[in-house]
Amino acid sequence: MGHAARHASRVAGAGAGLAAGLALGAAIVSGLAIAAGFAAAAPALAPPAATAPAAARTAEPAAEKVVIQYDCIPNYANWGSVTALYKKVSGVTVPPDPKGSSVALAALERERDHPVADCAYYSGAIGFQAAQKGLHQPYKPKGWEVIPAELKDPAGLWWTVHTSTIAILVNTKALGTAPVPRSWHQLLDPAYKGKVAYDDPTWGGTSYTLVYGLNLLMGGSDADFKPGLAYLKQLDANVSFYPRESIYNAVLRGEVPIWINADGNGYKMRHVDGGPIEVVIPAEGSFTMPLVMGMAKGAPHPEETRRYFDWLLGPEAQAEFAKAFFRPVLARAMPADIAAKFLPAREYARARPLDLARMAAAADALKRAWLDEIRGAGR
Amino acid sequence: MSKSGPGAPRSAAAGFLLALPLLLFLVALVLWPVAHLVAAATHGPGAFRAVLAAGRYRTALVNSLLLSAAAAGAAVLLSLVPAWVLARERFAGRQLLRAAMALPLSFSGVLVGFLMVVMLGRIGAIPELVRWLTGRELLAGAAYTPAGLFVAYLYFEVPRAVLTLEAAFRRFPPELDAAARTLGASARERLLRVRLPLLAPALRASLALTFSASMGSFGVALILSRRFTVAPVEIYTELTGFSNDAVAGALCLLLALATLAADRLLAQGGRRWRRAGNGGGLGELRQAAASGTRP
Repeated sequence: MGHAARHASRVAGAGAGLAAGLALGAAIVSGLAIAAGFAAAAPALAPPAATAPAAARTAEPAAEKVVIQYDCIPNYANWGSVTALYKKVSGVTVPPDPKGSSVALAALERERDHPVADCAYYSGAIGFQAAQKGLHQPYKPKGWEVIPAELKDPAGLWWTVHTSTIAILVNTKALGTAPVPRSWHQLLDPAYKGKVAYDDPTWGGTSYTLVYGLNLLMGGSDADFKPGLAYLKQLDANVSFYPRESIYNAVLRGEVPIWINADGNGYKMRHVDGGPIEVVIPAEGSFTMPLVMGMAKGAPHPEETRRYFDWLLGPEAQAEFAKAFFRPVLARAMPADIAAKFLPAREYARARPLDLARMAAAADALKRAWLDEIRGAGR
Repeated sequence: MSKSGPGAPRSAAAGFLLALPLLLFLVALVLWPVAHLVAAATHGPGAFRAVLAAGRYRTALVNSLLLSAAAAGAAVLLSLVPAWVLARERFAGRQLLRAAMALPLSFSGVLVGFLMVVMLGRIGAIPELVRWLTGRELLAGAAYTPAGLFVAYLYFEVPRAVLTLEAAFRRFPPELDAAARTLGASARERLLRVRLPLLAPALRASLALTFSASMGSFGVALILSRRFTVAPVEIYTELTGFSNDAVAGALCLLLALATLAADRLLAQGGRRWRRAGNGGGLGELRQAAASGTRP
C-alpha cells in the first residue's frame, strides 16, 4: 500500500471515529445541559454551594458576614439600595438573587434538608404558602406591633415589609399615538396589539396576585376561574410575551410599552430613572399586595438574619423601600416628598386587599389553569 | 496489522487507568443525576403517562424535536461553504473570521435571547431600520415568534457546525479528488461519489452535535418563547412553579432519550450507507491515487 493510500484510509477511519465520538459527546453534553438546567432550577440536586452567590461563599470563612435572601432583585422594591445601605451600616452582605416569589418557594422546598437560604421575600400569597408548607421558622422582629394584624402571621412565620398595588404601567413615548389605557376593558383594544406584557404567574408572585385578583373582579371565585381566564384570553391577543425575568429595563427603554405590575416600579421608572412612564389604577378596580418575608427553617446564619429583619422594619430601611415607591409597613417612615408623587388617595380607593389564605389555597390550580388556557402550547 | 506481543496487555491496563478520571467524571456527573431523575420520575404515579398524553408536555417535546431538527439541518447546510472556505482557502483575515465565528458559542442562551430582543424585538434594530427605510411596520416583535426562536438557535448552531465541519474538511485528502479528476470523473460525479461519501461522517457528526445542543438549550427559549414552548422551558415551569419533580424528571428523561435516539439513528444511517456500498469505488480510487495508475 502506498503512502497516500495509507494516509487516505487513516483519514477515513479518523472521520468515522470523529463522527462516533462527537455523537456520543453531543449526547453527553446535552444530557449534562439538561441536568445542569435541572440542577440550576432545583438546587438540592447540586451541591448546595452551587446556588449560593460566589462572592458570599468565598467571603464567608473570612471576617465578612452574609445573609442569604431568596428573591432579592436589585431593581424590585429598591432591594439593591436597601442591601447596599445595610452593608454600610452593619458590614453584612446580602447578595442579590434573581428568583421570583414562586422560584424562591420552590428552592426552599427543595433545600428543606440542607438549607442554603436564611430568608426569603415574596408576594403575600406565596409567602403564606411557604409558611404553610413548613419552610419557615417563627420570628417577630423589633417593631412587630406596628404591622397591622391582617398583614402578619400571629405566630411570626411571615410578616409584611411593605405593600404595593397592581397597576398598569405605561411608557407613553413607546405607546405612540394610542391613548393611555384607563381600564382593564380598554386594554383589550386592538390598538395595544403586541404592546402589553405581564409576568408569567408561574414565575412571579406579583403576576399571580394580578391573575387571582382579576378573576374575582370579573366575577369568578376560588372554585370558578372561568371569568378571569376568559378576560385574560381576550387580553392574550395584545400580549407580546409573558416574561420570566425582570423586564423593568425593557419597559423603561420602550421595548414593552405596557406592563401590568406593581405601581412602585412605575413610579420609580418615572421619578428615579426619568422615564416617560404613567401609572394607571384601572377604572374597574385593582388589588393591593402585601410583600412579605419569613425566616427559613434551618437558616445557616440565624443571628445575622434576625438582626437584618430587625433593621428592615426600622425607619432607615423602611424609608429606603419608600424611595422605590413601595409603601412602608411602618407608615410614618414614608417621606412626604415621596408620598406626594403617588396618585391621589381617591385613585387608590378602588384597590382592595385580597385574602392571602384563600389565594394560597387556589395557587396551584389557578396557575395550572392559566398555563393550559393562556400560555397553552403550540402555535 | 495490529501489534501483538507482551506490550498489549500492559497498554490495555494503562488505557484503563488513563480513562479512569473520565469514568469517574461520568459516574459523578451523568449516572448520579440520571439516577436522581429516574427516582423523581417514578416517585409519583403516572408521570410518564401524563407527559406522553396529548397536552402541553407532549407538545413541548414535539416542538423541541422539530425545532432542533430544523435548526440542525439549516445550520449544517448554511455552514458547508464557510467551513470549506475556512478549511481550504488562505486569505487575509481568516483567523479573525474564525474567531468571530466562534464568538456566539461563548454566549449563554439568556444572552442570545436578549440579543434577539435587541435586534428583532418590538423596537429592535432591524424593525426600526425597516421603519426608517420604508415607513412600514415589519418584523417588529419577530423575536417572540417561533421563527425568531429558530433564528436564535441558528445564531449559536451555525458556528458550532462551521467549527466541527472545518476540522473535517481540513483532513479531506485532495489527492483523491485529483485522482478522480484524472480518471475522467465529472464535477457532479466527484461531488456525489468522492466528496460526499468522504465527508458524510463529518456531516452526520455535525448534525448530531447541533441537534443535541439545540435539544438541551434552555436560556434562549426562556427569554423568547411565548406560546411555542419547548421541553426545557416546561421542565423549568414544573420545577419552579409547582415543585413537580415527577413530571420534570420524566420530561428530562424523555428529552435525553429522544436526543440519544436521534444520535444513534444518525450513526446507524452511516453504517447502512457504507454497507450498501455507496462510495464503494473509493478503495480502488485510493489505490489509483497511491500508485498513480488506472485500476
